Amino acid sequence: MKDKKYITCDITVIGAGFAGMVAAARASALGLKTVQTGNSSQLYFASGLFDFLGVYPLHSRIPLKDPRTGLELLQKEMPDHPYSKTGLEAILKSFDFLARFLQSTGLNYVKPDKRNRSVLTAAGTFKPTCMIPETISKGCLLKNNTPLLLVDFKGLKGFCAGQMADVLKKIHPNILTLSVDVPGEGGDLNPTYFATLFEDSSFLKKLATQISPFLDKVELMGMPAVCGVNKSLDALTRLEKMTGLDIFEIPMMPPSIPGLRLKNAFEKKLAENNVHFLTQAKIKSPQFNGSEFVLDAVNQNMETQIRSRGVILATGRFPGGGLHAQRGYIQETVFNLPVYQPDKRSLWHHINFFEQQGHMINTAGVETDNVFRPVDTHGAVVYENLYAIGTILAHNDWVRLKSGSGVSAVSAFTSVNDFYKKSAAGH
Amino acid sequence: MKKNQHPVKLPLLVATGDDIVETDVLIIGGGVTGTGIARDLTLRGLDVILIETSDLNAGASGGNHGLLHSGARYVCSDPEAAVECATELEILKKNAGHCIEETGGLFVAVKGDKENYITDFPDMCKKSGIPSKKIDPKEAREMEPSLSDETIAVYKVNDASINPFKLSIENINDAVSRGSCYLSHTRIETFKIENKAIVYARVRNQISGEIYKIKAKTYVNATGAWAGSIAAMAGIHISMVFSKGSLLVTSKRITKRVISRLRKPTDGDILVPGGVVSILGTTSVRIKSPDNIYPTVKEVDYIISEGEKLIPELKTCRYIRAYAGVRPLVSMGKGDDRDVSRGFTLLDHEKDQVHNFITITGGKLSTYRLMAEKTSDIVCKKHRVSVECRTKTIPLPSTHSGEWSEPGVLVNDPFKSDALEDPFLCECEMVPASAINTVIDSIKNNGGKPDLSSIALRTRVGKGPCQGAFCSIRILSHLHDRGEIIGQTGINDLKYFLNERWKGEQSLLWGQALVQSSLKEMIHCGLFGLELV
Repeated sequence: MKDKKYITCDITVIGAGFAGMVAAARASALGLKTVQTGNSSQLYFASGLFDFLGVYPLHSRIPLKDPRTGLELLQKEMPDHPYSKTGLEAILKSFDFLARFLQSTGLNYVKPDKRNRSVLTAAGTFKPTCMIPETISKGCLLKNNTPLLLVDFKGLKGFCAGQMADVLKKIHPNILTLSVDVPGEGGDLNPTYFATLFEDSSFLKKLATQISPFLDKVELMGMPAVCGVNKSLDALTRLEKMTGLDIFEIPMMPPSIPGLRLKNAFEKKLAENNVHFLTQAKIKSPQFNGSEFVLDAVNQNMETQIRSRGVILATGRFPGGGLHAQRGYIQETVFNLPVYQPDKRSLWHHINFFEQQGHMINTAGVETDNVFRPVDTHGAVVYENLYAIGTILAHNDWVRLKSGSGVSAVSAFTSVNDFYKKSAAGH
Repeated sequence: MKKNQHPVKLPLLVATGDDIVETDVLIIGGGVTGTGIARDLTLRGLDVILIETSDLNAGASGGNHGLLHSGARYVCSDPEAAVECATELEILKKNAGHCIEETGGLFVAVKGDKENYITDFPDMCKKSGIPSKKIDPKEAREMEPSLSDETIAVYKVNDASINPFKLSIENINDAVSRGSCYLSHTRIETFKIENKAIVYARVRNQISGEIYKIKAKTYVNATGAWAGSIAAMAGIHISMVFSKGSLLVTSKRITKRVISRLRKPTDGDILVPGGVVSILGTTSVRIKSPDNIYPTVKEVDYIISEGEKLIPELKTCRYIRAYAGVRPLVSMGKGDDRDVSRGFTLLDHEKDQVHNFITITGGKLSTYRLMAEKTSDIVCKKHRVSVECRTKTIPLPSTHSGEWSEPGVLVNDPFKSDALEDPFLCECEMVPASAINTVIDSIKNNGGKPDLSSIALRTRVGKGPCQGAFCSIRILSHLHDRGEIIGQTGINDLKYFLNERWKGEQSLLWGQALVQSSLKEMIHCGLFGLELV
């Protein structure tokens, strides 16, 4: 039999994706005794870009220049959307909190501007987003006449400078490309390992030498987002000094190094803030005894019974495991909460993958009150101190709206604040 | 202009639209029948051009079970077809063994299935000369542990599985290596008819937009479900009906053998293993047009509910994708589409006052070679060529470029590729860069354009659990690196490819498959914003 441990805490955050991390950060910053469970490796799928609202209305198919104009319309037209439960101020405050938190770990983000930022991706497309890592920010200096060098690395699959230059040619004719033979490496490059090489000065020097023939031809250089793991800005700055170029990173498909940086930053700082992290633990048969939640957190080696006054459910959607789809219906996996969903499976997906309105299944999820407490089909709060945050929330097709991080951050921030206020009043 | 010089390379001549490519026989349609005819005629010494409006096996040839019938399925409904199947099975086993897996088959009845069909079955098999052997249900469940515990009767037959993609690739490769020409993405615009004969066909390259003429002595319409529309261009009416059949691919192989329900053929009653997967089908739904077909949620659920009666695991197992094909049937009146003869229809349009035009349609994968032989016989008669059919005796060569279309080629042989020197571009199905390069070369040799879809057609790329989420962008980069794709076309190609994959996924997205499709949307829409470009 496994050893069983017992912990008591103020609040338990179930889930260690982006929303769960923000909630644990906020809770621990407010001095709440916090336990967190889950699997943080989901962050390998995070681009590291914090979106607010990128496209609205969806049928416009045009990236929003100013997310606030989209927000106003969205709040009018979609009263059930998570953003309609909060305001612009709360959203900006949560981003501000997040930026300060990450900065304290050495991961620097550029604070939100009034306008969305347009970030070049590995496909040669531009993604509208709000708050971005400093290592990516100089890409926004890109004007159509800036002589630009795009660099790729042989063996790093799915990132081809020539392909991006081809796609960009129409709007940006002044691009040179370089495909780097990575010194000492051959064949398949694992991004997670490859990124660590950039923290080594001798590697950077060799790289700078390969770039040197281009130095008098370009001002700006773009490269895949693999420039270091824990000291990315430092590595990038050193490479800039060696070459005299402004350099920016370009996000590519998972595994995402900017996502890994987030994972490391959160894990480090949350541990310092005494968040008790039960890694990989899954919650089995949660109970509510009238005043507290009793949760059995089970992982491979250990079973832990958590007694907690509040619970933040941040288990994500299908990839995170927060929602599970049977052949005919969608379930919430921890508390079996009611899930808002289309009537039948034939409505879940559209036959066109790129359908402009998105797929109906992506609006399914948990419905809540204004402080993100799940409600039942009659609109009544299910548990006084149970909150649901992040992508599990209904009415938010975050992939299409480009609203994922914003909804996660504001729902995490709002729910923890609400719990804190109530507990403070109660004590 | 010489036909083996692909017209794309001759832009000067194209401007007038008057260039004429000459050949003995123009075959229209790149399915198993068309490619089979191309090989047959080439072996008899004729000069052949095959044109295909998209790419190989775009119709029913790519939308079927991959089942090589022993004939047992037809012993009651169509004994003649049953005999044909049995004969062809032996020929193909001998000559195209590398496209076939000799799985054997079981016909299985479960509680509630009609007694008289079960009792009559062995006698009907005997009458048609189809080998069948009664097996004790208990023994059958030892042979195939996933069979239902309500199994009441089992017969063992000689069914086998065949890879129709490999088959077409190898047929066309052999024809091309013997001097014929394959033009993909080439569509018939018009026939010029004079004095009761087709003088030439105006064709259009769908990619470049070029238009030119192909002048042949004989024209063969092997377009399957589209035979009626092609014949109509020559002023000939063929009354076609279309029957859509949907099929599901499981994520792993469920049985060793082909499993068929021992009852009158109907929906969801055959499970065919193919490499590392199994294919469950089908349905029979009358549709108005053979274009833009895809499996619906309703069909998927119905197929599973029928299949699980035979093999309970089909209720809970993971499905990778679904696809649909259209059975082209020449209308003979009323009745269920399965009652319409599954034999083929071969029409010499001499009787319709077009002397040098032949249509072959209907039939089934199992008898494709026979259909090609009979069609080629008529062509040869018209050309006064007296050479006998040689596909009965000359083995179909195995080429390197057909090798990667087989599910699990590398899964069974992981030491073929050294990942350090030769990275896997498709990690689910372990397709290395070197294999992609071989396929790219083969496509170019045949005058085609290597892009994501044409590579996916010839390999396992995009067919594993990720359904193209990761491999698509990697292969696109690879194509750019090699200079095969230039400019914005790459993004359009990626979108087209993902959308085609999607048609096969959207009806069965639950459980783990939904997790994968969510990741795909996160990458391609969330990060790359492809829905906006």
